[in-house]
Amino acid sequence: MKAPVISLQGVHKYYGEQEPRLHVLKGIDLDVAEGEYVSITGTSGSGKSTLLNLLGCLDNTSDGAYLLNGRDVSSFSDDELSKIRNEDIGFIFQSFNLIPQLTVFENVQVPLLYGPRSIAATTHLCHEVIESVGLSDRSEHLPSELSGGECQRVAIARALINDPALLLADEPTGNLDTGTSEEVLTLIDELHQQGRSVVMITHDPEVANRSQRRVDLRDGVIVEAGAA
Amino acid sequence: MIPQKHLEMVRMGLRSLVGYPMRTVLTMLGVVFGVGSVIAMLALGAGAERELLQEIGRLGIQNIIINSIKPEEPKDAAQRSNWISSYGITFKDHRQIVDTIPGIERALPVHVSKKTVWHGSRRVEATLYAVTPEHLDMFDLNTSFGRNLTHLDDVKLSRVCVIRSGMLKELGIYQDPIGFPLNIDNETFYVVGVLAEDSFLGYARKALSVDAKSSEIYVPYSSILMRHGTRSITRRSGSTEATDVELNQVVISVTDLDQVLVTARMLGTLLERNHPNKDYELVVPLEVLSQRQKTQQVFNIALVAIASISLLVGGIGIANIMLATVTERTKEIGVRRALGARRHHIIAQFLTETITISTIGGAIGVLVGVGLVQVLTFFTGWSAAITLSSVILSLSISMAVGIISGIYPARRAAGLDPIAALRHE
Ligand SMILES: Nc1ncnc2c1ncn2[C@@H]1O[C@H](COP(=O)(O)OP(=O)(O)OP(=O)(O)O)[C@@H](O)[C@H]1O
Ligand SMILES: [Mg+2]
Repeated sequence: MKAPVISLQGVHKYYGEQEPRLHVLKGIDLDVAEGEYVSITGTSGSGKSTLLNLLGCLDNTSDGAYLLNGRDVSSFSDDELSKIRNEDIGFIFQSFNLIPQLTVFENVQVPLLYGPRSIAATTHLCHEVIESVGLSDRSEHLPSELSGGECQRVAIARALINDPALLLADEPTGNLDTGTSEEVLTLIDELHQQGRSVVMITHDPEVANRSQRRVDLRDGVIVEAGAA
Repeated sequence: MIPQKHLEMVRMGLRSLVGYPMRTVLTMLGVVFGVGSVIAMLALGAGAERELLQEIGRLGIQNIIINSIKPEEPKDAAQRSNWISSYGITFKDHRQIVDTIPGIERALPVHVSKKTVWHGSRRVEATLYAVTPEHLDMFDLNTSFGRNLTHLDDVKLSRVCVIRSGMLKELGIYQDPIGFPLNIDNETFYVVGVLAEDSFLGYARKALSVDAKSSEIYVPYSSILMRHGTRSITRRSGSTEATDVELNQVVISVTDLDQVLVTARMLGTLLERNHPNKDYELVVPLEVLSQRQKTQQVFNIALVAIASISLLVGGIGIANIMLATVTERTKEIGVRRALGARRHHIIAQFLTETITISTIGGAIGVLVGVGLVQVLTFFTGWSAAITLSSVILSLSISMAVGIISGIYPARRAAGLDPIAALRHE
């Protein structure tokens, strides 16, 4: 078996400074292998987003270890974490999180501003990625001029621009109807087939069934982890 | 980082400024007016200083001018008609000055009298200046027509004169004025030169006791002195007033600029001794200049300080709006952090916006300032000079205002916890 991309060992997460602190994750052990497609399900408030934010290096664990590509994340500085988010991870959010005053093209460009590559050298790449999500003709439009499905495709293009090995999606179809959900999920399937590791939160069992493995979170612990 | 990436950030930063044009304009206003008033204040200050230099510089900073002043009349003067009042600088003073005070290059005598000048049936009330030829050179009184007075005129006691061009019209002379006869006290003087129309400005005029209308006629000193002596008689209704002033004015030039003040002090002591009744005045242009410059400097500093307060208010305005913007764009900051922006990127982004606002505001402010100066000078006649250094100064100040007012909001934005920012609605 390949070395896991993600390895959580006895991870706890508390919220709040003073007692009683809110104990959200209560000892999570989870490995995600390279190229694996994992879905996380669970009731609302069970800690799914909290878990994904930890995986995305947006938040720190309160206890336990998180190894990303074999390296302990807790030892990294703020700048190093930013670099990991920029280069190694692609985020897809339920509410798209596009920057409203920027065009589609510029939104896709944003991660490049924070990376090492020059803007001029990557113009072509931006067009390519936008084309791969089928929005070539909308490059100069603002997010407010797009439908929800189109916005999510822009967000996916943005997540892909630095070609990350790991995609993290928090209910990517939560704001979409069945038709557009299907388009977005197909896109995610393709990205998985290209060899990326995918961790996706959903509360739709049918969506979860598309993944290779389901992790069910209940009240801060994994109660069921099995093949979908 | 690559500069082009900066440009791209600036471009995207501009997008958010353009996205809310009204807010951006309102944010800019403080800086616009701040810079505008700094520019205007500095221009007015520089204008005043330039005028001052012109005015006093014209007198020659190496010169010292002594004027005779009519002392206050004794109370019973009214009863004593037909009295010859004699006062002022005497030939004896002049001799003493030349003989005893070192470092004097020359001490030119001037005799001034009010005269009625006739040309045919036209007449002008003029001031007759009996001067030595050097006098005209010393005060840059150049002729635009004809020639200046010469030593030969003085030696030959010629009846020639140099007049202000303004008088030509009043005398009804429209042709070439050279050689025209003017009747002064029943004597005929011939015009040999016309002065370029470059009158003395306020202060210089007063110091040289030149009349306000600039109806001056310059004649050779000896011609007047030898013919008429120093007495002048004015007839008023019923009574005759006679005055005897030997020297109305002495213009002294000092060899060494460093010695001007010392020489002035010595002159003061000498005259004080000879004239306890204070019937003279000592004008030292150099002293006046440095005094006035000092006053002007204080004034300039005060002006700029006042203008800076509006710049400060402008800066506070920017900081205030930016803080609101940071709150409003917390979500965007979270998104950017999730996409890999480091703290310094967020700081750079917000600073870029404030610097852009304040610099564009500053540039507009320069234009507003220039316009303000035009309007002010048009309506008040003040003189103003917009200097390049004042433009550079106020642009740099506005840039600094952008940085200073941006620092706190930017740091606050960068200090936000990424996940908290992202969850912000
Ligand atoms: N920053 C925070 N501070 C305090 N409590 C928090 C914070 N973030 C999440 N929580 C709490 O932690 C618990 C888990 O939240 P989380 O967002 O992970 O749930 P979730 O499983 O994603 O739910 P949903 O399906 O509704 O998105 C909730 O009770 C929530 O109120
Ligand atoms: Mg959630």
